[in-house]
Amino acid sequence: MMATMRINIGPIHPSTHGVLRFVADVDGDTIKRTETHVGFLHRGVEKLIENRMYMQSPSFMEKMDYIAPLSWDDLYVNTIEKAMGVNVKETAKYARVILLEFQRVASHLLWLGTFCNDLGQMFTSFMWSFRERDRIIKLLQDVSGGRMFYVNIRITGLNRKLPDDFKDRAYSLADYIEERILAYPDVLDSNPIFMERTKGIGVISKDNAIKYGVSGPVLRASGVGYDVRKANPYYIYEKVKFNVPTETAGDAYARYRIRYYEMLESIKIIRQALDAMPEDNDVVGMPIRLIYPQPNPTPIMNNAELPRGEGIIYMVPDKTRPYRIYLRSGTYTNIAILDKITENIKYADFFAIMGSLDLVASDIDK
Amino acid sequence: MEIQREMLVKISEELKSKGFNYLKFITAIDYNDHLEVIYSFYNISTNKDEMVTIKLQTDKSGKNRPELDTIIKAYPSADWFERELSEMFDIKINGRKTSRLLLENWNGTDPPMRKSFVWGREYKKEI
Repeated sequence: MMATMRINIGPIHPSTHGVLRFVADVDGDTIKRTETHVGFLHRGVEKLIENRMYMQSPSFMEKMDYIAPLSWDDLYVNTIEKAMGVNVKETAKYARVILLEFQRVASHLLWLGTFCNDLGQMFTSFMWSFRERDRIIKLLQDVSGGRMFYVNIRITGLNRKLPDDFKDRAYSLADYIEERILAYPDVLDSNPIFMERTKGIGVISKDNAIKYGVSGPVLRASGVGYDVRKANPYYIYEKVKFNVPTETAGDAYARYRIRYYEMLESIKIIRQALDAMPEDNDVVGMPIRLIYPQPNPTPIMNNAELPRGEGIIYMVPDKTRPYRIYLRSGTYTNIAILDKITENIKYADFFAIMGSLDLVASDIDK
Repeated sequence: MEIQREMLVKISEELKSKGFNYLKFITAIDYNDHLEVIYSFYNISTNKDEMVTIKLQTDKSGKNRPELDTIIKAYPSADWFERELSEMFDIKINGRKTSRLLLENWNGTDPPMRKSFVWGREYKKEI
């Protein structure tokens, strides 16, 4: 019998989703155990934010998770709003929820495309999901002014008024995406190779999911129906009706199903928010460089359901800048379980498991 | 609630038996003369948070490293949080098997998230 051999997987960007490095002990094509190494993208965001004025930092927050930049930006600005005790404008709440849900769909679509790439299904899903994602990005670009990074959340609102035809475009975009998404199972669920490579792969039991603190779609795929939008509703999430999809299998296929259903639920939320959004278009928030209200110096914890799991900000506010800010992303805990679930697996399955966790290196490394 | 550092393991196990089985995060704040370590536990079935804080004295000479006990037995998810805490604030965590640095590759003299961290220093790579 051959002795195990130690090999490096990564750090290369497209295949390990950012620069993640795994050291694997392999015996033939069986991985005996892996060890995860992170930190290649560590920028020290927390320290950088401590040394800047409040509204200089949203652009750092957008680079936390560059696939869903709006969600971290919004969480950060919302935390400042709570610390300062200012209210978000009513129309802006609706606008933010619509944009955030579109962002969630765009993020899940990108995940779906790259996940299928990981599995060796090179083009169909990738091209389909990027086609839809591009339409969303176009809408977000017209709303915010940026294509990749939007940085359009301001204290109490957004950076500028919504375009005049925003409602019509958002309605038709929601219809278009829903119609397209409903066609996806034709190439995925009815594809024996896709099913073979995801069913029963990378199983996380309900017990382990809680013990290892995974969050977001990964947690819900293991049968725990915890969603911040339901557990601790913010903005208008109390007023809209939506389900929190859960699966019990806890494998890569269940994680795909969760994200698939979440996209459809997001479309539901978007439609309801568009229906109920006031017509006044009063969404412009405080401009940057204005003297902001003094924040309350007591520490504050704020959380939100980001596309990749629960995002938490713990902040100790000071007069003009945070005294200390702590950022916890969903991916940070999701990757920590990887060593546990990649024992005695086939080498090819490693990429299916890693892909199904939806990792983004910059989100982990901070 | 604020507790003494000797009580940490016992209290975390008590919280776990009360249903607070989900650890959200562990972090610390440097108040120059002391560190405040924060543990955030969560009860998924009742939607309740429980924050546990511990004050650790620090001295400027840096000779006496503040110490904590690991809670990795009750909460395996504490693994990465403890590694990050130890690296960023130079806190010694007792009872752990591995203590490999998580995010950075530094020589261990100047913990980055302490307020004493010097900005703009030239970084020399040790080979």
